[in-house]
Amino acid sequence: MQAARTAYPLKWRIMDALEGVAAAIWPARFRRATPYLMLLPAVLLVGLLVLGLIQIADASLRTLDTTTFQFSDDYSIANFRRALTEPLFLVVARRSLIAALIVTAVTLIFAFPYAYLMVRTASPGLRKFLLIALFLPFFIGQVVRAYGWLIILGNQGMVNEALGLVGVAPMRLIYNYPAVLFGLVQYMLPFAVLMLAPALTAIPEELEAAAGSLGANWVRTFIHVVLPLARPGFIGAGVVVLTLSLTDFAVPAILGGGSQDFVAIAIYDQFFRTSDQGLGATLALMLVALGSILVGIVFALFGAGTLAMGRSRA
Amino acid sequence: MSHSRSKSVVLWTLVTIALVTLSAPTIVVLGASFTGGNIITFPPDGLSLRWYARISQASDLRNAFLRTLQVATVCTIVAIPVGTLAGIALAKYAVRFEKAIQIYLLLPFTIPLIGSGIGLMLVFGKAGFLGQLWPVGIACCVINLPFMIWAVTASATGLDPDLELAAANCGAPPLQVFFSVTLPAVMPGVITGSLLMFILALNEFLVSLLLVDARIVTLPVLIYNSIRSIITPDLAAISVVFIACSAVAIYLLDRLVGLDIFLKSK
Repeated sequence: MQAARTAYPLKWRIMDALEGVAAAIWPARFRRATPYLMLLPAVLLVGLLVLGLIQIADASLRTLDTTTFQFSDDYSIANFRRALTEPLFLVVARRSLIAALIVTAVTLIFAFPYAYLMVRTASPGLRKFLLIALFLPFFIGQVVRAYGWLIILGNQGMVNEALGLVGVAPMRLIYNYPAVLFGLVQYMLPFAVLMLAPALTAIPEELEAAAGSLGANWVRTFIHVVLPLARPGFIGAGVVVLTLSLTDFAVPAILGGGSQDFVAIAIYDQFFRTSDQGLGATLALMLVALGSILVGIVFALFGAGTLAMGRSRA
Repeated sequence: MSHSRSKSVVLWTLVTIALVTLSAPTIVVLGASFTGGNIITFPPDGLSLRWYARISQASDLRNAFLRTLQVATVCTIVAIPVGTLAGIALAKYAVRFEKAIQIYLLLPFTIPLIGSGIGLMLVFGKAGFLGQLWPVGIACCVINLPFMIWAVTASATGLDPDLELAAANCGAPPLQVFFSVTLPAVMPGVITGSLLMFILALNEFLVSLLLVDARIVTLPVLIYNSIRSIITPDLAAISVVFIACSAVAIYLLDRLVGLDIFLKSK
């Protein structure tokens, strides 16, 4: 008895039982469908978002009766008409869109040299330092980082106190548009660098050396060799930064101090301040559409870049 | 690398600006948390640990932190099997409608967070789940799932399919092949992905804000609500909790899989 148990350990018995169960519910002839079975949980989980979008679409078609605070049973497009005509929403939408474009451009300008140096440096120590300096803020979260900027830039913040020591009157460095843009660039930098780096790794260093030996200086090498080959990285980084900054909430809320609201804040206010779920849902749906259109255009023109998952290499 | 002086100067100038911008808030929050004064001033009013003593006494902060840990745990536990299976399936098999499935699985990234958050709030609200912590964890899992799938596909592409065939040829049944060959091969990706999921859920703000009520606020939401009123050093001391978690996550990532994994080309 004892001998038999050591000869066929418990772990094997469990595995045998599991294999038996697996073979019973998923026989070998289903094997071609196995990948779909493996994808199913992820598809269902993401399906929650699709359900959410359907709920939003439903809510967007119902108008709020301001006398009874009830939502209409029948559908109308009144909310969409309001969203497109009220000047406040147009101002907020334009502010977010312009910010997203500026932030994307500035972030890419700073992310590219960072990623390039990180990938190309011969020193493992420097590479690790750059990686840690990148991940530390990335893993800290937006709220804490924005709080740090408040301490630095606030009206009684470090910069103003330091200026006061040399006799300069305090300046208002936060609660304005540039502060929000600055905060967003800082928030986006790690995302952009992490999307760019794999694309730069894929470029053989010899190509740059070859361009150099053929007489191109480094600027021309960058423009004609590195940047075009890094395109998948720029697409991935650009899409991520554009959509995340267009739809950000925390940075404009904290560093904008209520005067620099973005679309996400306008949506939040409709739900939780004015309690007009219908109008809030309409704005949310339009933001989803705007984001998807932007991403769709980029993907259609350039492919998914470093955003692609799985086997296909863009 | 061809060593041109102007190239180094330009590169290093931009990188230095980026480094300062990236690190300044972290360093300042750390510094402010040790201040001896009642408000944050520059230069600081001496050093002390009094704010840490204060926050360790505050039960609302401790509870908020424990709730945040719960949310992150739920998120990670759900994400590991779901993301691993999907990642392996995408990396190993020629799936029909692969493009469409990929675009679908990227929805969490292409749908703005405020849209995902509001949608999930409506869905969970209809189902009567709001006011609990696990829906917040599920929500954090959904919105960050592509990170998990990416991490797994990145290491699964290095898996030689012949290895699995060899194992099967030696008589290993499918589950054993999966657990003894496939899973160990993608383990670096699973570890990377689950650390990312945990830390991102720990920090998740907007979706938490939409899904929690006053009784179950998570720590990032609590900090946000407190920022609005007044800036005191105790907030800096709580924020250091996040800095510490971040440092631990980076250390683990580096020790277990190496940070260089993020530089690999696909």
